[in-house]
Amino acid sequence: MSETDQNFMEKTDYAGPILKVTDLQKSYGKLDVLTGIDFELQKGELVCVIGPSGSGKSTLLRCFNMLEKPDGGTIELNGHEIFGAGKTRDLDLLRREVGMVFQQFNLFPHMTAEGNVSIAQRKVRNRRGAACRDRSVEMLNKVGLDDKIEEYPDRLSGGQQQRVAIARALAMDPEIMLFDEVTSALDPELVKGVLDVMRNLAEGGMTMVCVTHEMNFAREVADRVIFMDGGVIVEEGKPDDVLGNPQQERTKQFLGLVLAH
Amino acid sequence: MEQFLNTFFDFQFMADHFDQVLAGFWVTIKLSLVGGFFALIWGLVLSVMRQLPGKWLAPVRGLTIAYIDALRGIPLLLVILLLSAGLATLASEGTIPREIGIPNWLGESDPFWYGIMALTLTYGAYMAEVYRAGIEAVPRGQMEAARSLGMSHGQATRYIILPQAIRKVIPPLLNDFIALMKDTALISVIGLVETVQVGSDLYSEFFNPSGYTVGAFLFLIVTIPLARVVDMQIKKQDEKFQRGIP
Ligand SMILES: Nc1ncnc2c1ncn2[C@@H]1O[C@H](COP(=O)(O)OP(=O)(O)O)[C@@H](O)[C@H]1O
Ligand SMILES: [Mg+2]
Repeated sequence: MSETDQNFMEKTDYAGPILKVTDLQKSYGKLDVLTGIDFELQKGELVCVIGPSGSGKSTLLRCFNMLEKPDGGTIELNGHEIFGAGKTRDLDLLRREVGMVFQQFNLFPHMTAEGNVSIAQRKVRNRRGAACRDRSVEMLNKVGLDDKIEEYPDRLSGGQQQRVAIARALAMDPEIMLFDEVTSALDPELVKGVLDVMRNLAEGGMTMVCVTHEMNFAREVADRVIFMDGGVIVEEGKPDDVLGNPQQERTKQFLGLVLAH
Repeated sequence: MEQFLNTFFDFQFMADHFDQVLAGFWVTIKLSLVGGFFALIWGLVLSVMRQLPGKWLAPVRGLTIAYIDALRGIPLLLVILLLSAGLATLASEGTIPREIGIPNWLGESDPFWYGIMALTLTYGAYMAEVYRAGIEAVPRGQMEAARSLGMSHGQATRYIILPQAIRKVIPPLLNDFIALMKDTALISVIGLVETVQVGSDLYSEFFNPSGYTVGAFLFLIVTIPLARVVDMQIKKQDEKFQRGIP
């Protein structure tokens, strides 16, 4: 990391939200997916995003690291405008500070677990040799996979693959981690292992945004829960309030369906 | 039965003329390797041209697609005849330089080079499609994961997408190579003496078809192992696929 970047992330006089999004818009053709999202994320905060399928949760998360380019609105990272007036700047910086874990793991199948965790460190962070490998091993340790370092993804269970994906993102030293339904593709018995890794991360003070259907996880670890529907934030607040005593009719309906079984 | 064997498997005749057929087969091999090499490269160029980004390059994309469609839809034999007749005519009229219209580069005859050009033009179009399918077969999530880790589009393509795409294109490219090798026989119509033409000459001279048989075996010695390699590669990939890995 160059010195200017370092300074940029550690601006000491800045006390505002680490990520701030205003009036975010995104459409696919005629389909308006996000219709004006305002969102702030404080350093160290863990926010869970819930909502029905197709409500735009993934799109929102993908706009946070510009995998999708918004059609309007602004995105600020640490008070620094990354996207505004239709223009993107310092995309590299954003991607470097924001890690993401996907529902489908998306591990690189032609590389070992260690290779998966190392490749971006080498190519993006310019970490070489032992420094890189040590870091990768450390991260794989952290997610409980020290015995799988040389395994290829096709030899790992879904839960193990997902933990490698988490290690891969963490190895880049992100300030923020985004999780998009990371346990939805897993067999039930493998869910806990991944959620435990996320809990540990949260306890370590990582800033996290998790799209999830795991209501217990949201209730136990989230600082804030956001309910999205139809491309807008319908309701947000403390987990006990949103999940236990929702104010909006749509939230009640959704929770009724999800918590029914 | 006896008669059958004597007609197709006249061992004495085969032994006597083996060297001639082998010399023809050497021409077949040269055609295949040189033509295959140029087709591989031309195909890559075409697939890149087809995927060039931006509004301004839409005509390039359109022309490339039209070219690929056309060359995949015309018999190779026709391309060979058209090319040799066309270039020779242009050269004799003086429209293009003689060295290009009637090429005798590197000591090879002009039918050889017409053949190489035709193979390149036609098989380049086939191979362009193979490359495209290979890149498209890499799941979209791979590029996204790489980009989310901060890699540039170029880095992601080079370290993540291409290594996977290459594995996927090797079996179909080998299949195309086998087909190309067999199609080199068509170049005999413009007077190139390769395996099939040697067999044909031997038949006209001695009314003995065993020369063809030798040619057939020589082809099989190369094509069967290649086909096995293709099968093994595909099987390996299928197994991975069944374990749920792209
Ligand atoms: N790349 C895309 N092209 C077109 N439509 C898309 C694309 N991605 C998502 N959508 C549509 O946008 C809507 C919101 O999708 P998404 O953000 O994935 O919702 P969620 O994650 O809440 O289930 C859906 O209707 C989906 O079909
Ligand atoms: Mg989603």
